[in-house]
Amino acid sequence: MRTVTSRRSIWPRSRRGLCIAAVAATGAIALAACGSSGGGSTGSSGGSATSGTIVWSASPIAGSGATDTRTVLIKAFEKAYPKIKVTLVSASTNTDTNRATLATTISGGSSTPDVFMGDVIWPAQFGAHQLALPLSKYLPASYFGKFAPGLIQGATYKGQVYGSPLFEDQGFLYYRKDLLAKYHLAVPKTWEQLESEAKQIQSKAGIKYGFVWEGDSYEGLTCDFMEYLTDAGGTVTNSSFTKATLDSPAAVRAATFMRSLITSGVTPNAVTTFQEPQAMNVFAAGQSVFLRNWDYGYSYATTPATSKLTTSQVGVAPLPTFQGESYPGYSNIGGWNLYINPHSKHINLDLTFIKWLASTQAQDILAEKYSEIPTVESVRTSSAVISSNPVLAIVPKTRLVPRPAGTPNYPALSTAIYTNVNAILAGSVSPSAGLAAAQNQAASALTSTSGGGL
Amino acid sequence: MTTISSAAGQPAVTAAAPPAGRPDVNRRKLARMGWIFAAPALIFVAGVTIFPILYSVVMSLRNVNATGNGFVMTGVTGANYSALIHAAVWRYALGFTIVYTIITVVVELVLGTAIALVLERLTAGRGWMMALLLIPWSMITVINAELWGYIYEGTYGALQAIFQAIGLGHPNILGTSTPAIIGMMVADIWKTTPFVAIIVLAGLVMLPGDIYEAAEIDGASGWYTFWHVTLPLLRPTLALAVMFRVLQAFGLFDLPYVLTGGGPGTATTSLAVLGYDAMFKNLDFGGGAAVATSTALLVLLGCLLSLRTFRVQVGKENT
Repeated sequence: MRTVTSRRSIWPRSRRGLCIAAVAATGAIALAACGSSGGGSTGSSGGSATSGTIVWSASPIAGSGATDTRTVLIKAFEKAYPKIKVTLVSASTNTDTNRATLATTISGGSSTPDVFMGDVIWPAQFGAHQLALPLSKYLPASYFGKFAPGLIQGATYKGQVYGSPLFEDQGFLYYRKDLLAKYHLAVPKTWEQLESEAKQIQSKAGIKYGFVWEGDSYEGLTCDFMEYLTDAGGTVTNSSFTKATLDSPAAVRAATFMRSLITSGVTPNAVTTFQEPQAMNVFAAGQSVFLRNWDYGYSYATTPATSKLTTSQVGVAPLPTFQGESYPGYSNIGGWNLYINPHSKHINLDLTFIKWLASTQAQDILAEKYSEIPTVESVRTSSAVISSNPVLAIVPKTRLVPRPAGTPNYPALSTAIYTNVNAILAGSVSPSAGLAAAQNQAASALTSTSGGGL
Repeated sequence: MTTISSAAGQPAVTAAAPPAGRPDVNRRKLARMGWIFAAPALIFVAGVTIFPILYSVVMSLRNVNATGNGFVMTGVTGANYSALIHAAVWRYALGFTIVYTIITVVVELVLGTAIALVLERLTAGRGWMMALLLIPWSMITVINAELWGYIYEGTYGALQAIFQAIGLGHPNILGTSTPAIIGMMVADIWKTTPFVAIIVLAGLVMLPGDIYEAAEIDGASGWYTFWHVTLPLLRPTLALAVMFRVLQAFGLFDLPYVLTGGGPGTATTSLAVLGYDAMFKNLDFGGGAAVATSTALLVLLGCLLSLRTFRVQVGKENT
């Protein structure tokens, strides 16, 4: 199961453990590099090389063993380009551990991994620290034109594109189709409607919780908060990322509503410790009417091995919005890009590989076999993809909002948001006091010249 | 980064006790040979501990930018440290780490001493009891933390099930500030009390029996004997236990990293968690190095203070 930052879903590491892991990973990469020596990359124009070996670092996407998404993609690529070999280095499923490993490896001058799969929120930070190659210097504008709107903008920092979108993710509302039908309730279009329907069903059906989502003190809470904030008409920063705008009435409205979900009993108070797996499991165990989660939620909630529910019980819809705003509400963008290590010795091969991963063939594999949301517009809107999965069918109907990741200090900015919103949810501070603190920290994160400080 | 190395300076031991009656020249030769034999190990230790520590100190005093071509360091600056002092989150982390260290170490010391006193009296099954006691200590902290996570979890956790069964509602332990801090302390005390108990037990066993006989003859009560004979004699042992524990508790990382990620809010953000986030999340290596360096200095100071409280030097028995 892929999560945004799954600190608790995988084996957590101590700091020393992390160092060992980093050393081990570096060792593995170094070994892989030995194996790749002699791979002469030939050809001059971007992405037309035909022979050699490259190393791809990617965290697990879906499947395992022979059905592992990464293995399947590599096999298909090697079939299309028989003279190019791709060695997979499996990266941590914990985004922060993954980033730490890549940042230390690449800033240490390592020429591998050649290509790495990285979070959509990394371009500014990696671009500013020269940890990724500016792809727009090597690939034509027409290449970037084929992706769905907004994705390239999110991968751009100071006029250069650093990431090639591989697959996208976004927030969805999952609901109990059977329960809504039983009590003759419509799929909620506003947050207020969701809250009242949840309350009704909780009392009538005796179901434990009404609505579960991600409220832990971590990146995922920034994603959830962005949705309520944008629905209420608020923003985190101004458009040039120089000023924080978190002390607005819209932000207070968003945070107050999130807290009220807990105080009204619709959301369990333990949501302040929920990441994706916890929220997912409560819903899959049949203990909640509604769930906010990413695109994997549908297959997870309808697979007997992971869930008590079936396809006749689970529905998916765009997220609601606040009363008085136009439906649907905003869904936060997640997902993964492909980046190239600036020290790579096989840049032409790397480009060939990432170009192939943006091809119809690769994007079809991701969408039809693994239900990932394709990033290439033509694949995303093709009827074969839309009919393959109910989640993909509603993707064209959603409204998207990115996280404010256009500043290299985004991690510190996000920390300012999720720690303070988490404290509001826990009831430690009032929404206005919590947001005032967030505003303060966000302002110093934006003006800092050293990664946003603490 | 709070590792304190005390391995240097030991090779002289080989020369410290030469066979009696040897001329001085021989002794110096032996000393030189000792240094030569120890040199590779010393160089290795310097390479893997002293160099990184110094590097981290240097980083904390410069403007550091992590780039694709390694660290670019410019100027000499106190900005990293002044940023710490001005950051509310660092001040909070400092206070939290100190309070956490004091409370857990004191509780562990009291409980550990009590357990050691019981163990010393045990005749049958002492080995078994000790083995049982050592289970929490011998488990890796992240695994301990995962187990406590299952106990504390707010929807299916063991503790909330018990609370619910006796009608006390749903406690949200890890999601509420004070319960999260207390829960973390409990997990820490559960794990490390046996360690203190074993150290104190070792000290107890070493105490000379004739003093107790003398106390008994003088008519001292058990309680009086404990306060006026056992405790003073145990002082060096207790000092050692406190020092080990302070060093470890001050570097608190695993428990908050696994259980809460420093939350709710920043309630359980220790100095080590803060330093890790600054370095590996924000790629602010100067700031992270300043957190690490200042933490190391503070813990050294803490150890010196605690040694002073016990008025002993480690290794100097029976003062």
